[in-house]
Amino acid sequence: MTNVIETKNLLRKFGSDETEIIALNKVSVEIEKGEFTAIIGPSGSGKTTLLHLIGGLDEPDDGSVFLSGANIAEMSGNELSDFRRDHIGFIFQAYNLIPVLSAQENIEYIMLLQGVPAAERKSRVGDMLNLVGLEGLGDRRPAHLSGGQQQRVAVARAMASQPDIILADEPTANLDSKTGIALLDVMRELNEKQNMTFVFSTHDQKIMDRATRLIHLEDGAIEKDERK
Amino acid sequence: MLMFKLAWRNLFRNVRRTILTCLLISSSLVVLILVDGLVLGMVDVMVGGITKTLEGEAQVNHRDFRTNLEPEYFIEDPVGVINIIETDNEVAGYAPRVIIGGMVASSYNTTGGLIYGVDAERELEVSRIKDALIEGEYLSGGERELLMGKPMVDLLEIELGDRVVLTAAAVDTNEIAQELFRLTGVLEFGPEEIDKTYIFINLKKAQSLLGMQGHVHQIALQFNDPEISRKPDLPLFQTLTDDEVEALGWLDLQPSIGAMIEMSSFSTMIVGLVLFLLTSLGVINSMFMSIYERIYEFGVSKAIGTTPFQITQLVLIEALLLALLSCTFGLLMAYLIGDYFSENGIPMGKMEVSGIVVDGNMYTRLATYQFIHFPIYVTLLTLTAALYPALYASKIVPTQALQRAL
Repeated sequence: MTNVIETKNLLRKFGSDETEIIALNKVSVEIEKGEFTAIIGPSGSGKTTLLHLIGGLDEPDDGSVFLSGANIAEMSGNELSDFRRDHIGFIFQAYNLIPVLSAQENIEYIMLLQGVPAAERKSRVGDMLNLVGLEGLGDRRPAHLSGGQQQRVAVARAMASQPDIILADEPTANLDSKTGIALLDVMRELNEKQNMTFVFSTHDQKIMDRATRLIHLEDGAIEKDERK
Repeated sequence: MLMFKLAWRNLFRNVRRTILTCLLISSSLVVLILVDGLVLGMVDVMVGGITKTLEGEAQVNHRDFRTNLEPEYFIEDPVGVINIIETDNEVAGYAPRVIIGGMVASSYNTTGGLIYGVDAERELEVSRIKDALIEGEYLSGGERELLMGKPMVDLLEIELGDRVVLTAAAVDTNEIAQELFRLTGVLEFGPEEIDKTYIFINLKKAQSLLGMQGHVHQIALQFNDPEISRKPDLPLFQTLTDDEVEALGWLDLQPSIGAMIEMSSFSTMIVGLVLFLLTSLGVINSMFMSIYERIYEFGVSKAIGTTPFQITQLVLIEALLLALLSCTFGLLMAYLIGDYFSENGIPMGKMEVSGIVVDGNMYTRLATYQFIHFPIYVTLLTLTAALYPALYASKIVPTQALQRAL
């Protein structure tokens, strides 16, 4: 199997001197294509920090991140933005849709950045809305969608760019149990059908139950790494 | 297109702030156009005060006459000059004059004055002598007719019909020449200088009094298009100018007014700079408020692949749309207000600026360039002011933005 994510001795500190906290301490991990991985651990264990470093949203104090074989530390700001746009889909805890754009425009936005032709954009938006069960709601702005519906739009947006990896930070934290399960089923289905790689940072047992791999973090270090 | 749609919708996230910023930008544009319109109006009044009152838009004089007003420096061949003037289609009117310093005496008092021998009919096209008449009759060609300003009438303690004696040195003999006249009209031009000093008699009488029949000291001109009198290289001026006479436009005749006009433009520039500075601060403040409200959103946008350049672009498009919206409103308001004041004027009372009397209302003059250049300046200014907030937004670090929001 091919590694789509590889981290080597990732070190990330916050604060300085007496207030210094080591969020990640020499973390090395390899994630293969098509894995449905959950990074779990108590609050402050470094889950989100690891996810941000993998996604190139933050820079490590030491160590490196390779995505599909490319060292993201060697990329310029614009190259990294382009890389994220084309290879990584993000889903955040707080939905994070652009409030002035409708659901379909939110999904279309990232494709527009990619320079996808208008006809294809429209077709993919339709497909994505169907996939996440939001047919007929494409014209609604986020304020007129429920939390679960907004998170589905966020999932659709993350997938619309056809990334290699989807990084999801507590995607079900603000959803009720039923909506969370439905959304996870959609993601699991995508993972199985399209062999898309998912990496979650979560406390949610529902995600852990569905994950094919669990990486346990404790005090910034990998305590256990188990494949089901 | 989606960027424009996004920028447009972002503008109306906070309608009140957008309206207030728009009002700030459009008010600056309105004030700038109106100030410039007022300056143009003021310049029109000042230039008109000079060129329409008595001086004319241009003059033909003996080369040495204007320096010291010596009566022997007259135009030798006024007929030749007039023939050239009459064939020029640009000339709306001309008036030949004899001008000499002399004394005027009544039964009670004596004072010095500048005697103008004028062609009453031709002066109607060139000067406002007739309009300045407040009592009595205008010149009709009579031998003894004389007009003078109210202050001089008061000084001499005379009334309409009273006799006065003019004394001046005859040009041909250099002897003292004296003649009796009767006050037929009292004038009030406005500028004290003219009202206290100038005396008007008929041209032919002046020529015979001073022994200079057929000659004149000055020919004042008005043009169909006053603007052409500003051109120092006007073909008519070049044709008329030779070793003996010179033809000059009012800008060369009154260089101090030219300097004053330049100063007016400078003051408009200062007003513009102050307005631009205040507007810039307003725009920067508004754009920053808008960015701070959306820090999390910018963080997410960057996380999903929006490049710093695209973030800068988005903020600048927002600023551009804000500027275009403000300019549209500002231009409309400036036109309506400017048009109103160009018709009705702003009441200013009576005041004298550099010897030019501005009486009554000050009118604005709107010009095409104000509606093309100024909005461009304002748009560029808004974009420049938005550049700093735009760069700030482009440098937002996604993780910090996401943490701040959580």
